[in-house]
Amino acid sequence: MFKYLLQSVENMNWLAVFSLVLFFAIFLGSTIWIMTRKKDFIDKMSNLPLDDDE
Amino acid sequence: MTQVERVQYDNSIVRNFAYATILWGVVGMTVGLLLALQLVFPVLNFDTPWLTFSRIRPLHTNAVIFAFVGNGIFMGVYYSLQRLLKARMYSKALSNIHFWGWQLIIVAAAATLPLGMTTSGEYAELIWPIDIAITLVWVVFGINMFGTILKRREKHLYVAIWFYIATWVTVALLHIVRSLEIPTSLTHSYPVFAGVQEALVQWWYGHNAVAFFLTTPYLGLMYYFLPKAANRPVFSYRLSIVHFWALIFIYIWAGPHHLLYTSLPNWAQSLGMIFSLMLIAPSWGGMLNGLLTLRGAWDRVRQDPILKFLVVAVTAYGMSTFEGPMMSIKSWNAVTHYSDWTIGHVHVGALGWNGMLTFGVLYWLLPRIFNTKLYSIKWANTHFWLGTLGIIFYAIPLYWAAVVQNILWRAFTPDGFLVYPNFLETVTQIIPMYAIRALGGAMYLTGVLIGVVNMVKTIKSGSLVANEEVEVPVAVEHKVAGREHWHRWIEKRPVQMLVASLVLVSIGGAVEYFPLALIDDNIPKISTVTPYTPLELQGRDIYVREGCLGCHSQMIRPMRFETERYGEYSKSGEFIYDRPFLWGSKRTGPDLAREGVGKLKKSDAWHYNHMYDPTSTSPGSIMPAYPWLHQNDLDTTTTFNKIRVLRQLGTPYQEGYEYIANDDLMIQAKRIAQSLKEAGIEQEGLERKEIVALIAYLQKLGTGIEPKAQAEK
Repeated sequence: MFKYLLQSVENMNWLAVFSLVLFFAIFLGSTIWIMTRKKDFIDKMSNLPLDDDE
Repeated sequence: MTQVERVQYDNSIVRNFAYATILWGVVGMTVGLLLALQLVFPVLNFDTPWLTFSRIRPLHTNAVIFAFVGNGIFMGVYYSLQRLLKARMYSKALSNIHFWGWQLIIVAAAATLPLGMTTSGEYAELIWPIDIAITLVWVVFGINMFGTILKRREKHLYVAIWFYIATWVTVALLHIVRSLEIPTSLTHSYPVFAGVQEALVQWWYGHNAVAFFLTTPYLGLMYYFLPKAANRPVFSYRLSIVHFWALIFIYIWAGPHHLLYTSLPNWAQSLGMIFSLMLIAPSWGGMLNGLLTLRGAWDRVRQDPILKFLVVAVTAYGMSTFEGPMMSIKSWNAVTHYSDWTIGHVHVGALGWNGMLTFGVLYWLLPRIFNTKLYSIKWANTHFWLGTLGIIFYAIPLYWAAVVQNILWRAFTPDGFLVYPNFLETVTQIIPMYAIRALGGAMYLTGVLIGVVNMVKTIKSGSLVANEEVEVPVAVEHKVAGREHWHRWIEKRPVQMLVASLVLVSIGGAVEYFPLALIDDNIPKISTVTPYTPLELQGRDIYVREGCLGCHSQMIRPMRFETERYGEYSKSGEFIYDRPFLWGSKRTGPDLAREGVGKLKKSDAWHYNHMYDPTSTSPGSIMPAYPWLHQNDLDTTTTFNKIRVLRQLGTPYQEGYEYIANDDLMIQAKRIAQSLKEAGIEQEGLERKEIVALIAYLQKLGTGIEPKAQAEK
């Protein structure tokens, strides 16, 4: 079984690495984005459900 | 001073979905209670095909997932979307088509599943015409949702809407890929994937049905309705964003945890396990964000039944999302898989997370759209306590049953023999737990019924505000500045967001699937594995129709207590002609992968008698009887199309075999009828009965890797 595994990984490595990098980059990007938002924006967003119809 | 304009929210569509949620909730749970009782009192199967456990189990799962929770999602989305975007739903007509289309699909499912029209893919059982209808209605929902998003008056999309968008796009992708099938008739089809590949697609779908139908939309609802009910903003909006991205990315990879220790290649299993473990982080991030929203408001939780429902829902979410990753650890999965642990686990999710959140939202929303007060706080509290205790009485006996099952399944004598070689002995011991489980279910349902009366009385005390008019600030033009962060750009452009989520969730599935599909080595071929004969094929489709996989797996794991009981562990190459694959996911009865070979092999007559009355061969069995198989004539008119479609899909039947397949079918049927006759079974036209085809299939099981058994045939 491990022989199969090693053979397959040979060809597919780029796909796995590509997706790992992509996923991590987006995760990091969104985290950095939200962490650098100003407090005003965060407060406004947090209160969106509360200021709709009451 | 900002200019204001008037906008009318459509509450009538919210009311419709709320009614449907309540109705289908009661139906789905009542069927669930019947199933629970059937395991204790098999007489409740009534020897009636459309009331038999194996046929109505998918009715229960589909009703709860797609009818109860499905309508709950739409109710919550239609309510919150309009208010978060400060815009009326895009199109009243599309709303109505969506509503009635979805109810029609549910009715069609309720009519076809008990009749045995099923693909047998778990939570994807519906036949192909209904699959197409689901796709169309889902597209209508999508157009309506995106239409509303595009004409919104609120510039920013609140995190709940992100969850709705991810839900819509991912469910669309999952449903379409899982439903790739070629019809052989109006009500029957074969999947384009076979064996291990179909298993991977199935659990990529099945797991993400949990993720993107039962979880992400409800998280959206949590992020809207929990702050509403608590009247305070979410604990951390930042955390909610991180929660969102982390959750949707990781979830899509976790499917193979349903296939640990199976014939799925090891690398895919490891991938599934690792990603499942990682899921704890975003899941608990979300749960804590929900619970911490109530910081400083816990005194209100004591008084407000709505908050109680929401707190238990979020807590149940936390428990099941801790339990899920633990169950994905291979060594623990070896215990929980095939056992009743899984059933306990999913009900903590379904009754706790989905159920309690749904009722919390219903109690909050109905008085508002009917401009009245909740009829009885006391009754809501009674509902809450019956629900909460019901969950406990439901889940704990099943966890206990799982432990007992494992102790019994794994017990060896000092000489190395199984202590309980007869599987039935391990079933009869857990029936008391099944009885307590049924009690738990009955408590939960009683609570729901009290809730229904309370809601009906609430509705009657008010009148629907069909069009709720509010004043909102005039919409501002969305300008895209030159140097904006990409995320802002995506957030302002929901269509971009849709495409981005689609690409990302597709990658998760593709990385797992393509290596398996493209690299032959992943599925080592076995030269002795042959396609099913026409009679075996028809028998297999009867096995599918009757829903046998609801209780019987066909996948022996490489563990001594399994190989000792069932024979050689299953190899991926054995399943290459299996459309659909029938590995199953739970063993209320024994595994059947090697039912036709070795020490498990029984005579044709044994199967004949067993299917007519299981207790005749297995005293104390709780399996339903299938006496109609002995009366119904096998429909051989379908053989032609079945053989032809399977050949198109790659099964090596000779060109033109469909024309003579029924001749071979009759020869084999007569041989089995003869063997039954020799065993003393006399029946008019026996060789034409469905039971003969089913016997042919059961005797085929496991012969693929036993060349000797092949030769004897």
